[in-house]
Parts: sequence; C-alpha cells; structure tokens
Amino acid sequence: MPVPTTGHTTESLTTWLAERIALYLKRQPAEIDPDVPLAEYGLDSVAALSLCGDIEDDFDLVIEPTAAWDYPTVHALAGHLVEELAAEAAKDGGA
Amino acid sequence: MEHQPYRLAEEFDRFLGDPDDPGEVFSHARCVELDDKEEFPADICRRFQEWGLPEQYVPVEYGGRLRDYEQVLQLVRAVARRDLTCAIGHGKTYLGGVCVWVAGSAEQGARLGAEIMAGVPVSLGLTERAHGSDLLAGDVRTDDKAADTEGHWLVSGEKWLINNATRGSVLALLTRTRPDGGPRGFSVLLVDKRELDEDTYRHLPKIRTHGIRGADISGIAFDGARVPRGALVGAEGAGLEIVLKALQLTRTMCAALSLGAADHGLRLGLDFAEERELYGRRLIDLPQARQVLAGAAADVLLHEAVALVAARAVQTQTAELGVTSAVTKYLLPTGTDQVLADLTGLLGARAFLKGVYAGGRFQKVARDHRIVGLFDGNTLVNLNSLVNQFRSLARGFRRGTGDTAGADAACDLTAPLPPLDPARLTLVTRHGSGVMAGLAASVDEITRRAEQNPVIGPVAAAARRLLDVTTAVHAEMEEYQGVLTEVPPAAFEVARRYTLCWAGAACLGLWTHSTDHFGDDPGTGELWRDGRWLHTALDRLLVRLGEPAAAGEETYEELLGALRAARSSGRLFSLLPQRLPERQPVRTGAAAVESERTSC
Ligand SMILES: Cc1cc2nc3c(=O)[nH]c(=O)nc-3n(C[C@H](O)[C@H](O)[C@H](O)COP(=O)(O)OP(=O)(O)OC[C@H]3O[C@@H](n4cnc5c(N)ncnc54)[C@H](O)[C@@H]3O)c2cc1C
Repeated sequence: MPVPTTGHTTESLTTWLAERIALYLKRQPAEIDPDVPLAEYGLDSVAALSLCGDIEDDFDLVIEPTAAWDYPTVHALAGHLVEELAAEAAKDGGA
Repeated sequence: MEHQPYRLAEEFDRFLGDPDDPGEVFSHARCVELDDKEEFPADICRRFQEWGLPEQYVPVEYGGRLRDYEQVLQLVRAVARRDLTCAIGHGKTYLGGVCVWVAGSAEQGARLGAEIMAGVPVSLGLTERAHGSDLLAGDVRTDDKAADTEGHWLVSGEKWLINNATRGSVLALLTRTRPDGGPRGFSVLLVDKRELDEDTYRHLPKIRTHGIRGADISGIAFDGARVPRGALVGAEGAGLEIVLKALQLTRTMCAALSLGAADHGLRLGLDFAEERELYGRRLIDLPQARQVLAGAAADVLLHEAVALVAARAVQTQTAELGVTSAVTKYLLPTGTDQVLADLTGLLGARAFLKGVYAGGRFQKVARDHRIVGLFDGNTLVNLNSLVNQFRSLARGFRRGTGDTAGADAACDLTAPLPPLDPARLTLVTRHGSGVMAGLAASVDEITRRAEQNPVIGPVAAAARRLLDVTTAVHAEMEEYQGVLTEVPPAAFEVARRYTLCWAGAACLGLWTHSTDHFGDDPGTGELWRDGRWLHTALDRLLVRLGEPAAAGEETYEELLGALRAARSSGRLFSLLPQRLPERQPVRTGAAAVESERTSC
C-alpha cells in the first residue's frame, strides 16, 4: 500500500526505516539507534541493497540500490530520502 | 537455420585441428601430458592468439570483436571441450578486463583492449588467503599517510589464489582505499606490473591443484608499490560495486566451461559404451547404461538451453543479470558435476585409471571441472545472492512484472541482440524476473500447440506442472523474504528450487520462441520437433523438484538415438548444428578397445 508521497519528514522516514530494518534483523525497532551504522547491527552490505525495493514499493521513489552504502545510518538515509522525495515532488509539480 | 555463434565456433574448432591427432598443437594427448607435468599450455595459447581469440574478449567500442556474449560463450566452450586448463588459463584475460569494460574510461578501455589483443595476459585480483569470499575483509590497501602520494597510490598487501598472477602483466586489483573499509572503502586499480619498481612486488609460488594442474594459480604480494593515480577504474570507493557488476558477466560466462566439460565427458562416456563388450553384449545395449547416457544427454541439452538464454539475456535483459548470473553459476557447475558423476558410474574403473582408456581423459575432465563451482562466486554464494533478492522476486512474480520483452528477445534465437550497455547493470533486480513472468504465457503457447499436435500433449502437461511448482516455490520464497542476515539452510533449499524453476521457464521460453525456426535442420531439427529436448529437460527439472517423472523411457530412447547419430555423423551433440573437426570413430565392436570379457 503506497504511503502518500507528500508530508514526509525526517522523523516519519526515520520511523519507517527503523521498522523496516528491525524486520530484516529480527529485532525491535526501538533497538535500532538511528545514528549507528547499519553494518554494526549485522546488516551486511549486500543485504542493505534490498532496501531500495521496499522504498520504491512504499514511496514510489526509485533510488540507487547503493544508497544505503552512501548513507549508512537510519538518520543519514532518512535525510537522503526526504531530499529525493522533495526533488521528485518538485519535478511532478513542474510537469 | 544457421546460427552465427555456432558457425564461428565451428570455424575456430576447425582451425585448432583434430584433437585426436597427436601431431596437432591442441591435441588431447598434449593436454594430458601438460597436465601430468603441471605445465602451462603456452604453445596452445599461442594458437588462440594466431586465430584472434583475444579480440573476442574486447568489446567493439574498444577495438575488439566482442559484440555478442553468445559468441564468446560458444568460442570458450569449444576450448573447454578440449581442455579446461586452456579455457580457464586463457579466458581469465576476459575476467581481468571486465572491470574496465564495466566502469573504465574510454581511454583505459582502448589501451587495455590493445594490450589484450596483442596477447598480454590480464588477471583479476579479488581473493585473499585469509578472507575467501568475504571481499570486504580484504587487506590489500593503499597508504595515504606517506608523504608523496600526489601522483600515485602506494599499494601493499597480498592477493592469493589468483589465476595468471605470475604470467599476467596487468592485474585488476580490488584495493582498500579507505582504512576503515566498508562498501565504499574499496576501489579497483588496474595495476601494470611492468611499470612497478621490481623491489615493491613479488610473485607467490605456483599453487599445486587437484584439477587444471597446468594453470598458473599463484599470488602476488605488494610492498609499497607505486601505482599511478590514473590506474583507478571508475570512481574511488566504487570498487565493490564495479566488482559485483563485473561478476554478473563472468558468472554467466562460466557456463561455457561447464558446457565444454560436459560435451567432452559425454563423448567419452558414449564412446566407451559403444565399444565396451561385456557378457557378449556391448555396454550400450544394457538398459542401465542406456539410461545413464540418455539422462546425461538430457542434462547437457538442458544446460545448453539455459546457457543460451542466459548469455543472450546479458544484452536483452541487462538489469536482471543479478538473477540470471546467480542461477546460471549455480546450475551449470553443479549440474555438470552431476553429469560427470553419473558418467563416472558408467565408465567404472576407466574413470579412475590414467592412461588406460582415452588417455585417462575422463578422470582429468572430472577433476578439472571441480573448480568451476568454486571460483568466481561459489555455489553457496550464488544461492545466497538469490535469497537476498527473494523479496523483489516474489513480489515481481505476484504482480507479473519483470522485463518480459527482454526475456522474449533472449529466447528468440533469431532476434538481433542490442549492444550491451554496462550502465544498465544493477546490483538489485528491482521488479522480478522477466523469464519467470513469461512462464505463464509460454505454458499457454505450448498448450495451444498441443491442441494442434497431440504428440506435444505430455510436454504441455509437464509445462503446466512446472508452472504449479513455480507458483508454490514463490510462496515458499515469501516466507524467507525477510531473511537478510542469518540465512537458514531451508532458504538455500528454496533458492535451489528457484533455480530449477527458472531453468524450466528459460527452456520453455526458448522452445516456444525458437522452435519454428530450428525444426527443419536435418541434424538437430528432430530435437526441436515435437518438443523432444524440452520434454526431457522438463522431466529432469520436475524430478529434481521432487515431482513425479514427466517423460517415459521411449522419450529417452529417442534422445539416445539422437546422441548416437550426432556422434556417428561428426556433429556436436547440441541444440543447434555444429560440425566437429574429429575424424569419425571406427566401430569394430569390442576389439577396438580391449578383450577382457569377464567381470572382475
Ligand atoms: C584454481 C583457482 C583459481 C582462482 N582464481 C582466482 C582469481 O583469478 N581471482 C580471484 O580473485 N580469486 C580466484 N580464486 C579464488 C576463489 O574465487 C575463492 O576460492 C573463492 O572466492 C572462495 O574462497 P574460499 O575458497 O577461500 O572459500 P571461503 O569463501 O572461505 O568459503 C569457505 C566455505 O564457506 C562457504 N560460504 C562462503 N560464503 C557463504 C555464504 N554466503 N553462505 C554460506 N556459505 C558460504 C563456502 O561454500 C565454503 O564452503 C581462485 C581459486 C582457485 C581454487
């Protein structure tokens, strides 16, 4: 079920990412500190690539699979997603 | 219909001469001798150079002749059919170049292309002694603390188990360029040994191996080697990404090694069964022996079909190569090891002895092939990479998405291939597999054909069963789609089942899209007509999926007939026609081999 593409904040995306990553790692979302690199939780670099599929599915946003390599914490990735979503919205608005 | 990749492979094979003639440079006798002496086949590699094989490793945009991967597949298969040491020892130059083809600059590509065409061996240095498949643990590194690193990198550390590390002049080296590593902490450097100060690197001794004993498997240790900054391939920090993309290409092309090994093993098994006389009958007249041979023949065609689709999919479905390559690199090596194991049972002692039957070639090919499932991403690594993609594969199958147009073009052998665009390679297959998404349409098509031609009825029934199993396998995948870290053994088993289903979908796609063009050939046409090769392929796959058999003895008997006919008319046993340079066998019954009659 796609989430509405407007109104995302770093906070809402942080929550979404922590939940998703907790699911991958079979942990509780509260255990995921948004400033700790995902690799430290045992999410290996190839597994981290899978995030892009879920992001595309839930936000209708196509990102590079390697985004999780370039933005290796929940916070960093949430910040990147906010920017990408804003850029996407601007593109759609201008069209 | 003529199929160009087979024509060129036939021409190349003819140039190499009759391998049964010990006077030829690339003869079976010579390969066995070199293996015994553990000597590199340098004179044979010179023959490849004379013909222009290295040009086939270099993309046309860099001055070479590599345009269609299907062509390289058939050329390397022709070499592998005679000797895997040569195929691996020479073909490794393609592996060495591929990082540059994927991510290098135009200038780097042109320069490396010229070197390769001039015969310079190139190698790929990923693995380290302590870390095996764990590439991100690599310790070969650059030192950025040294004073004068403006114009160059200072490289130190050791790569070990590297094909052509010693003979090669150029090496694509996965190097840690950030001390703390991580997925952005590595880069590929194209290191030219000829430019290095000789005190700053040394070769490690040749490592003795169980198979491909003549190959140069060694290593290289750097100690502050000054590598020019221009050696960087792609962006700094992009090393892992480049290597993982390059491996998608090389893993797909490894199919050529398995196909060639199986061609060779099947030929030896057939000749033995034709010639061996026991209890007053020839071995080939014993039902058990016939079953083994026909089963091996069915697997060989199944593997060929998968490899054809996969090699074409490199260009038609580039964005799904992460799946295609993992399936191919899992299925062909393990399937071919199994074919060789089955034939070992048929050859009995002669699979064990050196020098008694066919110069001991069978034990050699079985030994040599063992490496194919180990290097370039081993069996489990490939299954693991499929497990990592279960989420998007299951979702894609549910929705019917994936590049189906690309899959159709891969399956239609008459469709021209678009040039490879390396920019389309991606580490994640986003929308599922087009080959799988096309399965339902292929099943409808064969069902429709079966209505016109009832002989195809059982094949269509097998196809429908495959679709049911495939649907069930995708449901099993959904259960493991969250498994991204500690992959349980059961998920590997689901991945294995997935590869069998993918192979079935590829076979069905290939048959439905191509049979109208290839059924008329006087030699191979009978394999296509009435879905014969497809029938046994689906049967083999369904049985491996734990389903009841789909083809009876008569179907296998027909296949065995086709195998024997190909041999006696000097053709390769394959889906498409190709003549072999060998002289025909002279069949004089048991006398041709030995005169033992008792079972002891
Ligand atoms: C003849 C030869 C030539 C070679 N040529 C080259 C070359 O040119 N360049 C190069 O870089 N390397 C080369 N290699 C190295 C080869 O690629 C490595 O052997 C390979 O990467 C695996 O490493 P390993 O054998 O040390 O096993 P490891 O990776 O240490 O694996 C040990 C065990 O763990 C299992 N395993 C590994 N990963 C997983 C996983 N994800 N899930 C479950 N189980 C797993 C393996 O199946 C195996 O059983 C060559 C090797 C040989 C033998």
